Amino acid sequence: MTRTPDRARRRTLVLLGLVAALGGTILASLALGVRDIDPAVVWDALTGWATGMPLPDDQDHRVVVEQRLPRTVVGITAGAALALAGTLVQGVTRNPIADPGLLGLNAGASLAIVLSSVVLGVSSPLGFIWFAFAGAAGAALLVFSIGAGRPVRLALVGATVTALLTPLITITLIQSSTAFNLYRTWAVGSLAGVRSAALADLWPFLVVGAVLAAAMAHRMNMLALGDDVATALGQRVGTTRVVSGVAIVMLSGTATALVGPIALIGLAVPHAARRLVGTDYRWITAVAFLLGPVVLLVADVTGRVVLPHSELEAGVVAAAIGAPVLIAVARSRSLAGV
Amino acid sequence: MASSPSITTTVPRAAGLRDAIGHLRTARRRRLGMVLATCAVALAALGTLGLMLGDSTIAPGTALLAAFGAGDAGDLFIIQKLRLPRVVAAVLVGAMFGLAGALFQSTLRNPLASPDILGIAAGASLGAVTGLLTFGLAGIAVAVSAFGGGLAVALAIWFLAWRRGLHSIRFVLVGVGFAYLCQAFMTWLLARAEEREAASALLWTVGSVADVRGEDLGVLAVGALVLTIGVAVVARTQGPLALGDDNARALGVHVDAARVTTLLLAVGLVALATSFAGPVAFVALVAPAIARRLLSDGSPALTASTAVGALLVLAADLIGNHQVFGVAAPVGIVTGLVGAPYLLWLLATNERKERR
Repeated sequence: MTRTPDRARRRTLVLLGLVAALGGTILASLALGVRDIDPAVVWDALTGWATGMPLPDDQDHRVVVEQRLPRTVVGITAGAALALAGTLVQGVTRNPIADPGLLGLNAGASLAIVLSSVVLGVSSPLGFIWFAFAGAAGAALLVFSIGAGRPVRLALVGATVTALLTPLITITLIQSSTAFNLYRTWAVGSLAGVRSAALADLWPFLVVGAVLAAAMAHRMNMLALGDDVATALGQRVGTTRVVSGVAIVMLSGTATALVGPIALIGLAVPHAARRLVGTDYRWITAVAFLLGPVVLLVADVTGRVVLPHSELEAGVVAAAIGAPVLIAVARSRSLAGV
Repeated sequence: MASSPSITTTVPRAAGLRDAIGHLRTARRRRLGMVLATCAVALAALGTLGLMLGDSTIAPGTALLAAFGAGDAGDLFIIQKLRLPRVVAAVLVGAMFGLAGALFQSTLRNPLASPDILGIAAGASLGAVTGLLTFGLAGIAVAVSAFGGGLAVALAIWFLAWRRGLHSIRFVLVGVGFAYLCQAFMTWLLARAEEREAASALLWTVGSVADVRGEDLGVLAVGALVLTIGVAVVARTQGPLALGDDNARALGVHVDAARVTTLLLAVGLVALATSFAGPVAFVALVAPAIARRLLSDGSPALTASTAVGALLVLAADLIGNHQVFGVAAPVGIVTGLVGAPYLLWLLATNERKERR
């Protein structure tokens, strides 16, 4: 890889542009919605909240602090987590269509939610988040224990485990209408609701996962050359896979439990990042970390304003945004391999 | 992928190279023969079982005679009108999905490339769910809208992935994009709908051979036959294509033409099977993977995958139909449960063999 000043400047510009874009989308996420709020009022509300002042009896302030701030925080963390996990999965499996769902995580989380509803009578999102996380982790463990040997096999085992769990989900859904109702509102993928309360419990997983993902980025570069080359360069390939697997479960398991299976972010964002900054995983990881939240927040805000009196869930809008992005990347002249 | 025995270990002397290749070919052929024979026996057994079981159990001899048109009127009606069409439909649909999956995976060189993951099944599901929930369609109109959805997505993938030829990564990525797009809109429609309607729409999206009528089977069989003949014509290109585009070109294969023809045939198989049975889940993903591991000679395993697909759907329909899981489940719910554990076992044991 040639390291020309042009390329370095381009990468820095991309990062700066993304930081600016993230700032803009955060502001939009706080200001826009069923009730549009003036940015100055948003700022007042935020500074007031940050300095610990009691909440004034003002509708706009309450909306910003009590509804949109938690929602935005959930969007940022979930977007970053899904994008980082997607980057890791594509690096580890070396399959361009890999995303966290492919490793069986979404199916595991879904099955756990459905079963916790039927067997234990769990009925609220706050109650099932731990089950969802445990289900995702269990499915990933199964996938890694059978498929850890080789990248092609890992992806295939993941798809097979999904094929195994999905029928169990469907059978349960057919028999229980409460589980079906709980499941379909979660599966559509939304940032609204009480999820921020759960974030308070789950954030350590996200931090650890993000740190591990950053630490693995350099190893992904070697892994991209093939297992043999990576081994010859002194890398313990097995260790890389296990650590990456742990990071993927922590990031994606948490994000999926929080906001539902918003799959396209984990798939499209790494591809878009690759298109922006080339094949170096250290840069891809950094760009994905910023681009994921931007895409998820844009999806959420768009969903809030596009219909006059109701909302489109972020998962639907993210798919509507992410799929064209993915297709554009796939069509681009220099389609970089994984 | 599969561990093929290397020539040096099989025959030490260089003089025996031709013999060695001959041995390998015989061994491969024998292995394929074994797999196909096993599948045929199992298909016959399960097919007979499918004819026997039901509200009234019919003895195997009587059932088989009735299938060929001999016996009393009651048996003839039950077998020929009710049970035989279902068994034949399961075999045909399974074979078509199995063959289509093997074609997708070998020509796109990705073991995950199947209509389930490439959005063609999701397009068909979205078509059906839209028809059911948004336009209140019923019966044959739902099948037509599913067919339209699947075909529209396939054509859109095609159109968008085409760029001076059909590159496999482009096709796969665009396909996955469509899969998620269709999936998201379908989930959204399901989340909005009345609970009862949503539940029945959910059922349609998993695929079923219960409602295929005997009169329509002719269309399915003729279509399958025509497409399979087409596949037989292009099958020669699949081996070289598996070696990579450049190698295939060096071996004299017109890569773009071969890939386009193969994908057209595969999409045709999927679209036809889906319009009869719905997008029966995971058959096209799992059957070729099982077949490749049973042969383990690195070939695309087209014939074996066809047989495994037929067996998978027939077995799954028997299990689903006779309430093994407490409910009468349509075949598409059960296919994953039947095929996936076996494939996982194959993958796990294969792994150990390679490490040794």
